[in-house]
Amino acid sequence: MLRLLTTLFILASGTLAGNTLAHHSFAAEFDNTKPVELTGTVTEMKWSNPHAWIYMDVEDESGNVVNWALESISGNVLIRRGWRKADLPAGIVVSVVGWQARNASPTASIRFVTLSDGRRLFAGTGTATPATEE
Amino acid sequence: MLFRSIVLLTVFLSLFTGMAFAQTVPRTASGKPDFQGIWQVQNRASYNVQSHTARYDMLPGMGVVVDGEIPYQPWALEQKNTNFANRETVDPLSKCFLPGVPRIMYMEHPFHIFQADEHVAITFEWTQVFRLIYTNGQQTMYPGLNSWMGNSRGGWEGDVLVVEVTEHNDQTWFDAAGNFHSDALHLTERYRMLDENTIDYEVTIVDENVFTRPWAIGMTLHRQTHMDRILEFQCQAEVEEANGDFERDVRTWYPAVIPADNELFDANAGADLPELVVAADIPRLPDGTPDISGYYMADGGGANYGLETFAGRFLLPDSRGVVIDPPDGLLPYQNWARAERIDREGAHRGYEDPTAHCFLGGVPRSHYVPAPFFFLQPPGHVVVLHERMSYRQIFLDGRAHLPDHIRLWQGDSVGRWEGDTLVVESTNFNGKSWLNEVGDVVSHAQTVVETFTPVTADQIIYRATVSDPITSTRPWTIEIPFNREDQEILETACLEDNNDLGHLRDVRDEYRAAQKASSQEK
Repeated sequence: MLRLLTTLFILASGTLAGNTLAHHSFAAEFDNTKPVELTGTVTEMKWSNPHAWIYMDVEDESGNVVNWALESISGNVLIRRGWRKADLPAGIVVSVVGWQARNASPTASIRFVTLSDGRRLFAGTGTATPATEE
Repeated sequence: MLFRSIVLLTVFLSLFTGMAFAQTVPRTASGKPDFQGIWQVQNRASYNVQSHTARYDMLPGMGVVVDGEIPYQPWALEQKNTNFANRETVDPLSKCFLPGVPRIMYMEHPFHIFQADEHVAITFEWTQVFRLIYTNGQQTMYPGLNSWMGNSRGGWEGDVLVVEVTEHNDQTWFDAAGNFHSDALHLTERYRMLDENTIDYEVTIVDENVFTRPWAIGMTLHRQTHMDRILEFQCQAEVEEANGDFERDVRTWYPAVIPADNELFDANAGADLPELVVAADIPRLPDGTPDISGYYMADGGGANYGLETFAGRFLLPDSRGVVIDPPDGLLPYQNWARAERIDREGAHRGYEDPTAHCFLGGVPRSHYVPAPFFFLQPPGHVVVLHERMSYRQIFLDGRAHLPDHIRLWQGDSVGRWEGDTLVVESTNFNGKSWLNEVGDVVSHAQTVVETFTPVTADQIIYRATVSDPITSTRPWTIEIPFNREDQEILETACLEDNNDLGHLRDVRDEYRAAQKASSQEK
C-alpha cells in the first residue's frame, strides 16, 4: 500500500499542487524564515477538511518529546488520490520537511513526508521548497 | 367483534386515504410525488425527541419517538444523562457544528427540497449545509468514509421516497437533550406525501452499539407557503460578529456608501468578449435545455491566490491570471482598493479572510476555491452544491430580487437560458467576502452577471462580470473552465477541524501589539 501511496504522491506533486489548497493563507500562517526538518513517530492521522493533520512525537535537543501538528492538503483530496486513514498508522516513523508557524507553536506546513525506507511522499502546497530540499 | 370492526374501519380508511393521496399530491413529469419546495416541522423535537417539559433553554413538547421510549443499553443511558447535564457546552450545535441526520430535518430552520430524476437535494437554512441523495442506484465511490451528515442513497417504494443514511460519525446528537448514537448508526427515512402541503416523515433508527433494538421517530413536514426562497443562517459568523472575533470592514460591508472622493465608475466600459461555440453533441434535457447536471472541478488557474498573474510567492500557488477584461489582465481598482488589496496580502491580515473562519466564499469565489461542485437541474432551478459546504439556488422563473436591505453571503441569484448559455444575475451581497486568499476586494455594491456555457459535453466555460462602483472604475470579467469529472461530492466539515484560525489570530495580534507599542513611543 505504501508503494501505491508513493506513486500517488509523486503524481500529485506535478499536476495538482496548484489545485489542492487551502481555505486560508498558508503564507500568512507559516514563516519562510523557519524551515523545519523533523523526524518522529506518528501519533495520529486526522482525516479532516479543508486540511488533514498528521500528529507526530519529536524529541528535541534536551530530550523532551514534543507533539507536532503537521498540516497537509485536504482529506478529501487525499481520499480521491487513493489514500485511506489506515495508510499512515500511529507508530510509524517518518521525516518531514516544511515551515513552522509564525506563532512559534509546534505546527508546520509540510511539503514532503519521507518514510523510513527513504521513499518520499508529497503532501504539500504551493511551489516553494525548503532550502534543505534544494 | 370490536377488534374486527376496528380492523375493517382501518382497512376502509387506508383505502380512502390512498385514493385521496393519489388524487391530490403534485407529481413530477416522470409520475413521482413531487416534494420540491420549502418545508419545516412544527414540533419541538429539536429540543428533545421524547416528550419533555420546559427548561430555561428548552421549549416543552410532545415526543416524536414512536413507542415513547428510546431503547438505550444501560451504559448508553448513563452517557445520555451525562450529555444532558453538560449540554450547554458539549452539544455539537453549541459550537455551530453540523447537526447530522436526522436532527437537521426537525430543527427550527426551513429547508428546500429540490427534486430531479436522478437526485434529490435538500438545502438547509442552517449554515448552508446540504444533503445530496442519489436516487439513481449509484453506489458510493468511497465506502467507509464517515461524515457528519452521513451518506444518503435513496429509491422509490411506490410513492414513498425511501432513503438509507449510513456512514455517520459518532459526533452528532439526535437533539439538544443529549440523545446520541455511535458511528454504527443506520437510518431508513421514509417520505410520504399526504397532500400538496404535507409530508409524513418517518425514520427507523438502528445502532447496535447504543440501543437494544431498532426504534423509530415520526412527524409531519409542512410546506412553508409564505416563503419563496431560503435565506442564510451562518451560525458561526453570527457568533463571531457578535463577540468581535470577526470585525466589520466599514468600506465594503453593507450598508457602506460610496465615498465622496471615489473615482467615477464607468458602467458602460468593457471590451467585446470572444464568442463561445457550443458543440453539437452536448447532452440536453427533454425540453432541449443543455443538461449540465453533474460533478465539476474548476481549472481555477490559481484564482484563489490572485485574479491577476502572479508567480513564485512563498506557499502560494502561481496564478495564471483569469481576468479577460480589461484586456491587460489587471483589475480596474480604485486607488484605495488597490492599496487595500496589497495590504491584505500581509501576514497580519490573513486572519481576516472570511474563508479562514470557514464562512461562505461568496460569488464568484465559490466557483474557484479549490473544491468541486455539483450542478442539479430540478424544474425551474439550477442548484449548485459546493463541496466547500455551501450552495447556490438559482431561480429561473424571472422573479424580482430580494428587497435591498436583505443581504447575503452568496447573494440572490436569478437566471435564464439565453440559447445554450445560462445567464445569472446576482445582487443583494453583504460585502463581507474576499475574492481570494490574497484579498482581492469587492463590496456589497457588486452586481455579478455570470454565464455558464457548456462548450462540450464535459466542459463549461464560466465567465463572471463584476460591477462594483465602490472598488472599481469599470466592470471586469474573469473566465474559468469547469471540467466534468467522474467523481462524487464529499463533505467539508471546515469549522469542526479548523486549527489554523488561532495561529492567524496570533500573527494579527502580535502585529497590532507592535503597532500600538510603536505609536506609544512616538
